[in-house]
Amino acid sequence: MQLFPRPASARQPAERRSRGAHRFRKTGVVAAAAAVMALSACGGGSSTPNADGPVELRFSWWGGDKRAQLTQEAIKQFEAENPNIKIKPEFGDWSGYWDKLATQVAANDAPDIIQMDEKYITEYSSRGALLDLSKYEIDTSKLDEAALNAGKSEDGLTGIAAGINAATILANPAVFEAAGVPLPDDSTWTWEDFGRIAAEITEKSPKGTYGAAAYGTDEASLGVWLRQNGKSLYTSDGELGFEPADIAEWWAFLKELSAKKAVPSASEVVEAEAAPLDQSGLATGKNAMAFWWSNQAPALEKASGGDLKIMRFPTKTGSADDAGLWYKASQFWSASSRTKHPEETAKFIDFLTNNVKAGETLLADRGVYPNSEVRAAIESKLTPADVKVVKFIDQIKDELGEAPAPPPKGAGSIQEIIKRYTSEVLFERLSPEDAGKKAHDEMKSAISS
Amino acid sequence: MSAISELSSITRRKGKATAEEKKANGRDNKAAYIFLLPWLVGLIAITIGPMLMSLYLSFTDYNLLQPPEWTGLDNFTRMLSDARLHNSLGVTFTYVFIGVPLQLAVALLIALVLDKGLRGLPFYRSVFYLPSLLGGSVAVAILWKQIFGTTGLVNQVLAMFGIQGPGWISDPSTALGSIILLHVWTFGAPMIIFLAGLRQIPTMYYEAAKVDGATTLQQFWRITMPMLSPIIFFNLVLQIIGSFQSFTQAFIVSGGNGGPSDSTMFFTLYLYQKGFGQFDMGYASAMAWVLLVIIGVFTAINFIASKYWVFYDD
Repeated sequence: MQLFPRPASARQPAERRSRGAHRFRKTGVVAAAAAVMALSACGGGSSTPNADGPVELRFSWWGGDKRAQLTQEAIKQFEAENPNIKIKPEFGDWSGYWDKLATQVAANDAPDIIQMDEKYITEYSSRGALLDLSKYEIDTSKLDEAALNAGKSEDGLTGIAAGINAATILANPAVFEAAGVPLPDDSTWTWEDFGRIAAEITEKSPKGTYGAAAYGTDEASLGVWLRQNGKSLYTSDGELGFEPADIAEWWAFLKELSAKKAVPSASEVVEAEAAPLDQSGLATGKNAMAFWWSNQAPALEKASGGDLKIMRFPTKTGSADDAGLWYKASQFWSASSRTKHPEETAKFIDFLTNNVKAGETLLADRGVYPNSEVRAAIESKLTPADVKVVKFIDQIKDELGEAPAPPPKGAGSIQEIIKRYTSEVLFERLSPEDAGKKAHDEMKSAISS
Repeated sequence: MSAISELSSITRRKGKATAEEKKANGRDNKAAYIFLLPWLVGLIAITIGPMLMSLYLSFTDYNLLQPPEWTGLDNFTRMLSDARLHNSLGVTFTYVFIGVPLQLAVALLIALVLDKGLRGLPFYRSVFYLPSLLGGSVAVAILWKQIFGTTGLVNQVLAMFGIQGPGWISDPSTALGSIILLHVWTFGAPMIIFLAGLRQIPTMYYEAAKVDGATTLQQFWRITMPMLSPIIFFNLVLQIIGSFQSFTQAFIVSGGNGGPSDSTMFFTLYLYQKGFGQFDMGYASAMAWVLLVIIGVFTAINFIASKYWVFYDD
């Protein structure tokens, strides 16, 4: 019994049909092959577990074009010295980097060598995703102690500092000059001075130019502010090291700055957040001063096409000794705990850390070299902009405060919370006090989960 | 070989399936399955599989780095007290319930104009359809950001009239509106469907109405709207489902953070942030299922309501 009429194709002449069937088979094979290939392409990428043959390692970092160039150059040098190891670079933007890394680690497809940030290192190391590098052959004897300690935790040595950084204010002297305002003495200036000078520059500059970029888009400037008030972002046992009132005070001062137009309007601040480094207010000459990490100065100088001055943060007391700055590990070299080639991975990290040739290539792009020997050896190769950075780091050596506690698990969300409440305050949707309370609550639950 | 015997069996014994015929049928099916294979693999590997996985994950605490831990309904109860989630629902509902009707109204209006038998209709049709192809794309979202920036095109035009416009997408009170506008601008797809629908309405109705002295407006309300109602319904269902899930525009325009002040924090964007930014994939999976239920409910409401206003000719 036939319920449905047979399809027309079945009634076709024999000859055509048989050719058709043949073609079916062929197409089917091709389709299946394509599907299999597509599937294997998703899962692949890992190195071959071959004892003698070449080993391929994947190495991922975030950063701009300049960094990509320098890093690939360093990879070439390493490969020349180690013909049996191939390094496959993977790089991208800061924001996409962490989404991608989280997904890769979840999919058991993490890169072998990972450029890590202090905000996330506890997140990953406490969950066993990072290799304890102290168990492998990496010479750490030449590293500055503070930099080395930054990568240590109860999970072992899960990151080796790639560079040393400090929070700074970068000033564009050309904007100061155009406004007819002298550059301040950064060893004696106070926050009041900062506000006054910034407002004066705005007033004497063409429309759209401001004395300073707003702070409040990341936790670095908050960290400095808190330290100057005897508090800290985090305590050593992984709690918040401040009260709602402290952060409220910080926002209240920002609101004051905004009211006297020392910083851009709320809308402009939001827009500036999204701009990449080379389109930032400082680089385009729209801001006379802005908050940056010291290692970003050369890239910003290049983008602005002029000279920049690296300055200390202002203080409450007018003494640079109270600036509360610290040496930060700009980035870490970490390795995946699931790497199939821990020895080779360690070898590469050792190369990046201790090899003079690597140092001569990477220079100060990731901050000042934490290895004192390499630092001395590459001194003559540094560009004038790099030299400025090294000098600044050296200058503040005796003024540094205590090393801050490492960011706890969940610290990766803090920046986003700060940003969001900064705009609530600037748009006057929340008072600094309310924002302080809410932000404190949210941060607390972010790092306790 | 068997093809010949098959042919003869068809001619000889119509209606009765012989063993050979069954074999041939099986071969036909096999061919069909081979053709379907790429799609089937995709369906199972990248749709059904992950869906089942996410259903499981929604009952777990899963931080991406360690194996998931069963927590029962914990994720769902947490949602009840998550103020940011409630805000994101508000944003999404505003987007859907303002954006979709506006977009459909514009689409219908343009379709009516184009249906009047304009010269060069195919050209205009393509031009109006273009934004639909581009609208969901990253490039257009970036462009939108430029146009509606503090010093963007819109404010430059306003400045000519001495008006100081706000930073449309950087001000919490106008940011969502800018994204809704972007959605309305992509009216091309429903417009094409409306155009096709309008062509289906027999002209004799209009002719008869004209003879009876009906005005254009009366013709629109009494003939066009009822005759077009199935098409409107179709567009409505499609657009509501699509809009609940929109992500790209908000992601790009806000730089991925749903800002300023969470004013463009769509439900999907918050889901993404939870899952990939805050290592809370269990919660994100639970959110995805809540969204599925919400979409399901609204689609059901749509279908029930359609009984009262959609008119089927046949």
